[in-house]
Amino acid sequence: MEEKPLIEMKGIVKVYPDGTRTLKGVDFSVKKGEIHGLLGENGAGKTTLMKILSGMLKPTDGRIYINGEEAAFKSPADALSKGIGIVHQHFTLVDVFDALHNIILGMEGHGLFSKIDVGRAKRKLQKVMDELNFQVPLDVPVENLPVGVQQRIEILKMLYRDVDVLILDEPTAVLTPIEVKELFRVLNTLKEQGKTIIFISHKLREVMEITDRVTVLRKGELIGSINTSDATPQILARMMVGREVVLRIQKPPKEAGEPILEVKDLWVVGDRGEKSVKGLTFEVRAGEIFGIAGVEGNGQTELIEALTGLRHVEKGKVLLNGKDITGKPPKELYDLGIAHIPEDRTNMGLILDMSVAENAILGLQWKEDFRGPLDSIRWVNVRKHSEELVREFEIVVPGIDAPLRSLSGGNQQKLIVAREVSKKPLLIIASQPTRGVDVASTEYIRNYLIKLRNENKAVLLVSADLDEVTQLSDRMAVMYEGEFVGVVKPEEVTEEQIGLMMGGIRI
Amino acid sequence: MNGKNFLKPFMESIIAVTIGVLVGAIVLAFSGYSPLEAYKALLDGALGSKYGIALTLSSATPIMLTGLTFAISARTGIFNIGAEGTVYFGAIAAIAFTAAFANPLMGLLGGILFGAAWSLPAAFLKVYRGVHEVISTIMLNWIAFFGALYIVLGPLANPNDPNKTISVPESARLGLILKETDLSWGFVIAVIAALLSYYLLWHTVLGYGMRASGYNERASKYGGINPKLAIIWSFVIGGIMSGLAGAVEVMGRPPSYAISQGMANIHGYGFDGIGVSLVGRNHPLGIILSGIFFGMLKAGATSMQIEAGVPLEMVKVVQGIIVVAVAVPGLWDLVKNLFGRGRQ
Repeated sequence: MEEKPLIEMKGIVKVYPDGTRTLKGVDFSVKKGEIHGLLGENGAGKTTLMKILSGMLKPTDGRIYINGEEAAFKSPADALSKGIGIVHQHFTLVDVFDALHNIILGMEGHGLFSKIDVGRAKRKLQKVMDELNFQVPLDVPVENLPVGVQQRIEILKMLYRDVDVLILDEPTAVLTPIEVKELFRVLNTLKEQGKTIIFISHKLREVMEITDRVTVLRKGELIGSINTSDATPQILARMMVGREVVLRIQKPPKEAGEPILEVKDLWVVGDRGEKSVKGLTFEVRAGEIFGIAGVEGNGQTELIEALTGLRHVEKGKVLLNGKDITGKPPKELYDLGIAHIPEDRTNMGLILDMSVAENAILGLQWKEDFRGPLDSIRWVNVRKHSEELVREFEIVVPGIDAPLRSLSGGNQQKLIVAREVSKKPLLIIASQPTRGVDVASTEYIRNYLIKLRNENKAVLLVSADLDEVTQLSDRMAVMYEGEFVGVVKPEEVTEEQIGLMMGGIRI
Repeated sequence: MNGKNFLKPFMESIIAVTIGVLVGAIVLAFSGYSPLEAYKALLDGALGSKYGIALTLSSATPIMLTGLTFAISARTGIFNIGAEGTVYFGAIAAIAFTAAFANPLMGLLGGILFGAAWSLPAAFLKVYRGVHEVISTIMLNWIAFFGALYIVLGPLANPNDPNKTISVPESARLGLILKETDLSWGFVIAVIAALLSYYLLWHTVLGYGMRASGYNERASKYGGINPKLAIIWSFVIGGIMSGLAGAVEVMGRPPSYAISQGMANIHGYGFDGIGVSLVGRNHPLGIILSGIFFGMLKAGATSMQIEAGVPLEMVKVVQGIIVVAVAVPGLWDLVKNLFGRGRQ
């Protein structure tokens, strides 16, 4: 007999004010006490669907039933009162509050002058933590805690509110492998306690490992639900992208050549005055991909900004082809043969309000091809160049005059890659080149980086995606707190060893 | 840059103008005037005769130029409201330069130089000290006002007429396009300035960098653009426009060709320019149209008063409503843009 679902969403449609149809009539149901995976590529509508379930967004059309009763949520508080809570991908904590005050925020002391019973709150919280064997320091400002702990605080915040249904949006994106294991243990404990968990992810392995059932969305449509025990990664991948994806990367062996980039004892200071890069020394050679792995926030961003002229170098030297380029501005570096695929594509790599064509020359605007007499822009050449990039990289655009905003994330990223490669550089610095990019574009971009390496370019790859670094790199370093924990060949280490290094343990 | 991109803002401005006219009619009716008669008188005065059309276009001239000041800055992400003070110095420079060299080109050059120079304090304060341009330009406007007043009453005072400064010598005046009207070649200068501004913003590498840094400072730095330099250029080029506005006004506006007592005849153009720019959607070509529209309102106001008995101030009410109707969405975008950037 079919068990009655705890949550049932029927015919959910969401059209954003700009006309984007994110959900096109999706049905979704979750049984009590299961861990339910919600799988899909970026832009499939997973997060939108869950924001609707947690009361943050109102559906354009469709109904939600909780325990068979129709529910209409006007706000997250409504959803919480029905026992549904969400942990967002981007945390919603007050940085300067400690964990306790973050957790009880909005829960205690409803009157203007009513007293907060900290003692009682602490006892209740301690009980929750003991039951789960899941401890967090309650009296340290959360900004001083690692991301993994902040995530636990978010989870505790929901449990403190007595939720029955816990939604986790890409919870493992920011965690080290060891933290992921710990999270999974806690999720299983919660399941034993009778909680229902919805686990949003695009990582097949994790979904296979932790969930009981999986629902797959693709481009705003329901593809289907399947018991995890009946699924294989291949089946799920096919459901997710609509074709067999073999994220196989063809990488022929290759001898690396002369060093192109040499970094010597580099020190860089971060935004808050902290030492972010502490005396790094390494080189990237022609015809090699040098990967830097590590959990984000360990100095990778500052390192790349220093190498690309966007951040001050405190101490040390950077050489390109033997020439000192320390502290040179971006324009000069581009002229000398550096291309940069920045990690923050929407805030740095592109200007969303400008057209595709205008973005196609960002950083190239002085080149003779594009700049005519009297500082004029040679629009004819710019348009030709843009059309070439669009054609060669199969970028899907409404037109080269369309605002960049109208492109999907994957196509935006492809445009950056296309533009940077068109600089004909000696060295490509690629930072999180496939983050938030759909599977097909990811495959394309990764293979392109290998192609560049085969053409004897030097590639410096920084990525939080471990698979990406291990698949692509000829040599790789693991960065932890501004230093390299080790420089290894990816085929010579196990994933567990890399995980340990990401956690700061030298092997 | 295709036609479709122009159509939407153009329609939005048309709608705003319609709203302004309709609400203005309601206000007129409530105040006991016949809106139909009033508007008829206004149109008559502004477009009903050769003289009226000339008055419309000559009234449009300075506010088109000050509108360009605001638009060029806004495209660079800067909220420059310092046109007002710059106009005073542009006018003064034109009188001083033409007094020294009786040649119209020297007068225009004076306006350009002084306009550019007076834009620099706010530019440097912004770029090197982080002073918000709204604060600095408001304060600089007052400094300009009293500084200019001193020059008008002192060094440039007319020994024969206490009500104005010395006049621009006849050989240095801008010629009239239509005889016995107010319309001088200054109008053509303003239109050329708008066309050049358009060319600058969308057809030069400098303009590309200015717009890029206006949209996204981080991305422009990544693109090898120096946002500080882009901001300084936007102030300087904007200053040139306002300086020209002052110069053209005293060199091309009969009958006095001078600055009147209390600077009444060059007062307020800087602020009108903000409205012109907003209605023109901060686009140089839009500014030509909205400048002419505002010129129409100014030119028709007098005949509205004479023929329909409606006080001059009612035109300001209509103007105000139009600007608000246009500016609400436009201003909102701008503020979001400016403060969104600051949060990075």
